[in-house]
This record gives sequence, C-alpha cells and structure tokens, in this order.
Amino acid sequence: MDKKLAQKIAFWIFRILGVFVVGILLWILGFIIYNGIGVISLEFIFDAPRDGMLKGGIFPAIVGTFCLIVGSMIVAFPLGVMSAIYTNEYVRDGKISRFIRMMTNNLGSIPSVIFGLFGMALFVNAMSWGDSIIAGSFTLGLLALPLVIRTTEEALRMVPDSLRVGSYALGASKLQTIRYVVLPTAFPNIVTGLILSIGRVSGETAPILFTVAAYFLPKLPSSIFDQVMALPYHLYVISTSGTNLEAARPVAYGTALVLITLVLIINFTASFIRRHFSKKLGGGH
Amino acid sequence: MRWWIEKIVEKIFAASGMITTVVILLIVIFLFKEGFGLFNSPVVEKGYALCVNAVNPVEHIGSTTIKKIYNSGIENWSEIGGFNEKIVPFRFDDIFGHYKEEEFGENYEKLPEKLGEVIAQTPGILAFIPEEYLPKGVEGVKILDGNTVRPEDFFLGQEWIPTSTPAPQFGVLPLILGTLWVSLIAILIATPLGMGVAIYLSELAQSRVRDILKPTVELLAGIPSVVYGFFGLVVLVPMVQKTFSLSVGETAFTGSVILAIMALPTIITVAEDAMRSTPRAMREASLALGATHWQTIYKVVIPYAISGISAAVVLGIGRAIGETMVALMVTGNAAIIPKTLFTPVRTIPATIAAELGEAPHGGVHYQALFVLGCVLFLITLVISISAELISKRQHNKGL
Amino acid sequence: MNIIETKDVNFYYGDFHALKGVSLDVAKNSVTAFIGPSGCGKSTFLRLMNRMNDLIPETRLTGKCLINGEDIYDKRIDVDVLRKKVGMVFQKPNPFPKTIFENIAYGLRVNGIKDKAFIQNRVEESLKSAALWEEVKDKLSRSAYDLSGGQQQRLCIARALAVKPDILLMDEPASALDPISTSKIEELIFTLKAEYTIVIVTHNMQQAARVSDTTGFFMLGELIEFSDTKKMFLNPSKEQTQNYITGRFG
Repeated sequence: MDKKLAQKIAFWIFRILGVFVVGILLWILGFIIYNGIGVISLEFIFDAPRDGMLKGGIFPAIVGTFCLIVGSMIVAFPLGVMSAIYTNEYVRDGKISRFIRMMTNNLGSIPSVIFGLFGMALFVNAMSWGDSIIAGSFTLGLLALPLVIRTTEEALRMVPDSLRVGSYALGASKLQTIRYVVLPTAFPNIVTGLILSIGRVSGETAPILFTVAAYFLPKLPSSIFDQVMALPYHLYVISTSGTNLEAARPVAYGTALVLITLVLIINFTASFIRRHFSKKLGGGH
Repeated sequence: MRWWIEKIVEKIFAASGMITTVVILLIVIFLFKEGFGLFNSPVVEKGYALCVNAVNPVEHIGSTTIKKIYNSGIENWSEIGGFNEKIVPFRFDDIFGHYKEEEFGENYEKLPEKLGEVIAQTPGILAFIPEEYLPKGVEGVKILDGNTVRPEDFFLGQEWIPTSTPAPQFGVLPLILGTLWVSLIAILIATPLGMGVAIYLSELAQSRVRDILKPTVELLAGIPSVVYGFFGLVVLVPMVQKTFSLSVGETAFTGSVILAIMALPTIITVAEDAMRSTPRAMREASLALGATHWQTIYKVVIPYAISGISAAVVLGIGRAIGETMVALMVTGNAAIIPKTLFTPVRTIPATIAAELGEAPHGGVHYQALFVLGCVLFLITLVISISAELISKRQHNKGL
Repeated sequence: MNIIETKDVNFYYGDFHALKGVSLDVAKNSVTAFIGPSGCGKSTFLRLMNRMNDLIPETRLTGKCLINGEDIYDKRIDVDVLRKKVGMVFQKPNPFPKTIFENIAYGLRVNGIKDKAFIQNRVEESLKSAALWEEVKDKLSRSAYDLSGGQQQRLCIARALAVKPDILLMDEPASALDPISTSKIEELIFTLKAEYTIVIVTHNMQQAARVSDTTGFFMLGELIEFSDTKKMFLNPSKEQTQNYITGRFG
C-alpha cells in the first residue's frame, strides 16, 4: 500500500480513538448528571434515608465518607510524607531507596479487596475494633499510602538541589534544610498528592465492605468505634440489593451524582493547585 | 543536643520508610494465618461428620467425590480406590426409615446406638451424621475424622458451592478462570484502543488537543469503580442483552467492556510516557531517510518503547484482575467455567466481596475466602513483578 | 551548476529571529562548510534544507530555498521524497536499536523496496562507501550498539547513503568523536565528494579548512561571508570573519 495512504488511514483511526475516549467519559458523566440532577435537593443531601431507603436523603452516607476521608488521611499522610522524606532526602539512590520504592509499588498494585480482607482480619477481628470508623480508616489509609508516598516523592524531587546546597552552605543541618527549605518549597505539590489520595479513598468500596460500612444506619456516628454509611457502599447497596430496585433508581442516580461530583471537585482542586503553583515556580526563574 | 534530635528524627523517618514493607508483610501474614486453617478443616459441613463401615479401607474422601456420591455420580467404592462394594449414601434423616420414632428414646439418647447398628450392618455405607449423634466407640463403625480439605480439591475443584451439603464445594478453578477470562477480554479490548490514544497523544495531538485529552484520561481514572459498576448495570447490561438477544445481560463480555474502560487510563499514560521517551535523534534519523511519520512511529518509536508498552498492558491486566465492584455488579456471578464471551462468570475479588459478609468468622468458608485472597495476592504480585522486570529492560537497552 | 540556491531566507522560532536574509548557492559535487559561534544559525540553516525544522512547532520561514531548481517549501513538495533526496547525518551517532544490517536497510524498506538481493547489495555498497565494510562484514546481524562511537557515526553515514541521496547534510558529524575517528570521517567526506554534494556544519575551523571547497561564516543569524575556503581562511574580506578565525587560532 502507498505509504502516504497508510499514514492517512492510521492517523485518522488514532484521531477517532481519541475522540472516542473523550466520548466515553462524556457519556458516563452525562448519563449520571442527566439522570441524577433532578434528584438533588437540599433534602436529598441533608436528610437521612427513609421508607426502605427509597425516600429521604443520603446525609449519613456523606458524613460517613467524610469521616473516612479524615480518618484515613490521619493514618496515611504523616506516615507517607515521612517515608517519602526518608527515601528522597536521606538514602536517595542507594539499594535501600530502590527497595523501598519497589515495595511501595508492590503495595500499590495489591487489589483493594485484599485490603478489605486484611483490614477485617487485623483491625476488625485481631484488634477487636469491630466494624468501625477507625478500622475502616486504617484500612483505607494503608490503601492510600503508596499514592501519598509516590506523589510526595515527586514533589520532593522537584525541589532543585541548588536550594539544598545553598542551605547547607549557610550551616544549616539536614533536618533544618528539610524543615525550612525543602518542605516549604515542595508543599503545594505535597498537598496536591494529598488531595489526589483523598479522591482515591472517597470512591473505594471493596475495602470498607467488611471494615466499616453499614447497610442502613440513619444516625450519625458518635465515636470512632461506630459504624457509618458511606457513599460508594450506599450506591452499591441501592443499585443491587433491596426489594424494589426500580423504585430505588432515582436515589441511586442521585448518590452516583453526589459521589462523582465529590471526586471531580477533589481532582479539579488538585490539578488547579498544581497548575497554579507550577506557574508561580516557573515565573520566579 | 541538636545532633541527638537529628539522629532521632532520622530514625523515625527510616522507620516510616519501612512502613510499606511492613504492611505487605502484615498482609501476607494475616491472609495466610486466616486462610491456612482451611487445609486442616473437615471436608464436610460444620457440625457433621462422615462414618463408614469398619471394614471399609477408605480413609479420605474429597469434597468433590462426596458430592458425586450423594448425587449418584459414583456408585461403587472401587471407583475411588476402595473395595468392590456398592456405595450406600446415608443421610441422617434416612434413619427414620429404619426405625420407629419411639425406638430412639425420649430425648433421642438411643439415636447414636441405632445409627451405629445401621452402619455396622451395611458394608458399603457412607453416613453423614450430626456430631452430637455420632456413634462413638460402636464396633463396626469408622468415623472419618481426619478427612480434611485437600489442596487438590481446592485448586483443581471445578465447583464453588459453599452451601452445598454434605460437603461444601470450594473449587477455585472456575473463579480463577473466570477472573482471567474477563481480564483477558478486557485487555484485548483496551490495548488497541489505549495504544491508539497513546500514539495520538504522544505523536499527533497539538498541544491544545492534548490539554483536553490528558485531563480527560485522568478523570476516567478518577471515577470510582462503583460508579463504573453502576453505569454498567443500568446502561451496558440491558444493551448487551438486547444487542445479542441473551436471556441475561450480565456476562463476561459486559464486565470486560467496563474493565477495559477502567484499564484505559493506565495503558494510555504508561504507553504514552514510554513513547515520549524515544529519543528525538531516533525520530529525526528515521525522518531524514524519507520515512513517513507513521513509518517512523511503527518502525522506530514503537519498537523502541515496546517494553514500556508491554509494561503498560501488564499493569492494565493487573488492574482488571483486581477490580472488585465492577465484576461484582455486571458479570453475573455464576461460578462456572467460562466457555463463551456471553456466559456469566464470577471473579475472585467479586466472590470475596460477595461472600465474606455471610461467612462465619473462622469457619471453613471464611478460611476458603482468605485462601482465595492469597491466590489473588499471588497473581497480582506476579503481575506487578513482571511489569517491573519488563520496564527495567527498557532502561538497560542500548547499553 | 548550483544544486542548492537560497534567496533571502528568514527563519523564526516564535519571536526569535534565527536567520536573517541568508542567500547562498551551493555547487554540485562540492563540499560546503558552515562555521560560526554556537547559536549563530548554521545548524538551523542546514536543517532547512531537508525541512527538519518542520518538526519544531511555532516556527516560520520566509524567502526561497531551491534544490535542483525546485522550491522545497512549495505546498506540492512531498517532504518524505525531499528527505530521501537530501540525506542527513547528525551530531551524535543515532543508530536505531536494530542490527547493523537493518539500520542500513531501513531507508530502503520505508521507501517500499522489498527485493532482498537488491537490499543486500545496497547494504554492502553503502558500507563500503562509508569505509565500514571491512570492519563489520562478519557481524551484520549484531546490534548497532556493539559498534564504537566512530563506527556508529560511519554506520549513520552509510545509512544515509543507502537511499542514494543527491545531497548529504552533516551536522557537526565528528563533534562527539575521538581524533582518529574524526580523521576517518574527514577522509570519507573527501571521497564522497565525487558522488554527492556535501554540506557540513562544524565548530572546528581546521576541519572546515581541511575538507571544504567553500565556506560560509554565520554570526547572529546572518551570513557574514561566503566564499572559497582558501580565500576565507587566508584573506577574509570581512573584519568579523578575520576576528573569528584569528581569535580561534589564537
């Protein structure tokens, strides 16, 4: 075949595929927004479910998801940031850092349902915390750990060495350099990573199935040892189980829309912060 | 003083650095600890035991064999390595056909004795009896108490029926094959699509188009899996059912399509990075020889990036294999060995997610689900290590 | 007869005016060298001739650039065909991660040649022209990366020769090589002159003096002087040229 023609055909296929992928996203988003927007109201967001979860709102699930976000970040954020500081600032390119990176990658590739099994065995049963916010937070926190470590490491790596050297030249110690130079410079990007991890955590279902999620619990938690409802689990429950799936559809669309909006806002915030600050850094040079 | 603080803080950082390793170790320990008991648990349903006549030489009967015996699939002991005698399957209720109700005594205290009588009289008997009525110490009765679940029943068993009596069936073969089947189709759909988009992004798209397409791909990655599952359930399932005129729309294919969409971002990003890392000098050399842009892509760029691209595909498979909610919601969850695109299948993660809630803590079913977790863990570990090895080859190339 | 003619060529990278009104002619079967301080536009000018600069976004060209009397920036020009006629050797050796044989055959294959015997012959012929045949004839199926840097660069020259170009552009072809490999490349340029028109960019003035017939001196995007090499080095007409040459010679 003529090589020009081959190129033309190939490139058109690629263009169509590109459009196709955008189309898929628009289709999914559009479908959920179209069907869910009519369900959204103040009542839907701020009320507890009623009448076999066919009526009322999803407030307990929103609060539950919020609790899990906060809890899991309390677990993952300090640990992850410290781990990243260690690999990037202390051992840099040795065997240890390579080993740690490999382990972080491996942890990141473990399916979320395994975290669910593990969380149930360790936090729910062995620690006898039962199904509780704290068990769920630890499970989700460990799940988010690789993401926090990876993004923090990237953030630290973007700090130019000249800054570190400059700080040492002034007689600052390693810790002081990290504290006063490296962390402040990397801060916006570390926060971006944190937000991305929140996005990941807020949509996870499998890890919370057996560690925290309640099928139906129309009251708010009073301690970290309470069970809670959570948005993703709620969506799963009302779309697959129950006596009247058809009647529950509007609630399902509404829940999906709330969940997806939450995740999108989180992702947009993250990319906004990243872009905003990378511009700032770029302008300084 | 300052020196000490520095040292202590460094130690704390170092300890945190080990956290991922510790977590992986803990995961391994707990999965194995909770699951390991499976191979020491009796084959039969909890609270029951199997008895045979004392002359019967058989010591062990696997769960699949038991099921076949009770379904009359196996009729003679010689078929399973025993003596030549017809098998007489005996359920607890059958005792009421041999004796009258009043013969058992007021509180059924004579029941074990009577059971023992029946067993001792029937050489070919296989009796399934509640533990509280076991004819212990009765002559002519052999209780098969060392009859535990065997690895071959688990790994080669073709049926997964945890509620089956007398022996629950924990054959993981259909689950493993179901998982691989769904993931394989998903990756067959996702690879060409993802590659096409990756080529478009790295080679063709103008920066304005890239600025739209890249965030789109990232957003696709950000959508929670349960939303994909929901979308699949309400949109794709009916669509597949109608298009292919099936009785149900929840099939391996339906799951694969959604899993393919979910694997796309991984494939696109990793493959695009790999192609972008092709040195400019390579492209220029090719173009300077009169090759077209497309020839340059498939003769130089793709071969150069091939290990990165393969790593992308392998990572995509890993993502699909481990995905829980979509598999749970749209693949139909029938634990049968898949034969066509349109059979309902059940994957390992979906099985764990669906059944762990109902499995009593510490029971055989619970243990079996943890062993299933171990299997899944090993599969994904192998995948992630091979992805790492493949992408390492990229860095060594050309040296 | 002039194989390359440029008239008032201006070139811009975005707002940056990289070439300012360059006009020059290159005779067939001659060796032309471009010298000048780095960033003077000599490489940019070289890369105009096989339209390699097309690959850089947001660039703009005015003026005329003719090869064999044809405007190569005309819309009807097929860039792939142009690049087949105008071969190029780059600053750093850039063999493909393929075998030695496949590297040379690449240009033939992408231009639709499938005849095995023909490819075989052409590979041998090109390697001989590039004075590499004796060194690699027994290891044609080995990776091109097994060769030394100088051999790799000659491989790249052979690769360019295999498609039988009219013109061979060389962008500092010896800058990454040791002195022995450099002198081999220079000898090669000398013998190739019989069949090809060669345009070479170099930062090494002795090299320009040794291999070229005509030399162009660029500075800040302008072609300061363009004349016979001997005249240029012995008796430059412009003061800037004089300063540059003597400054360099010390």
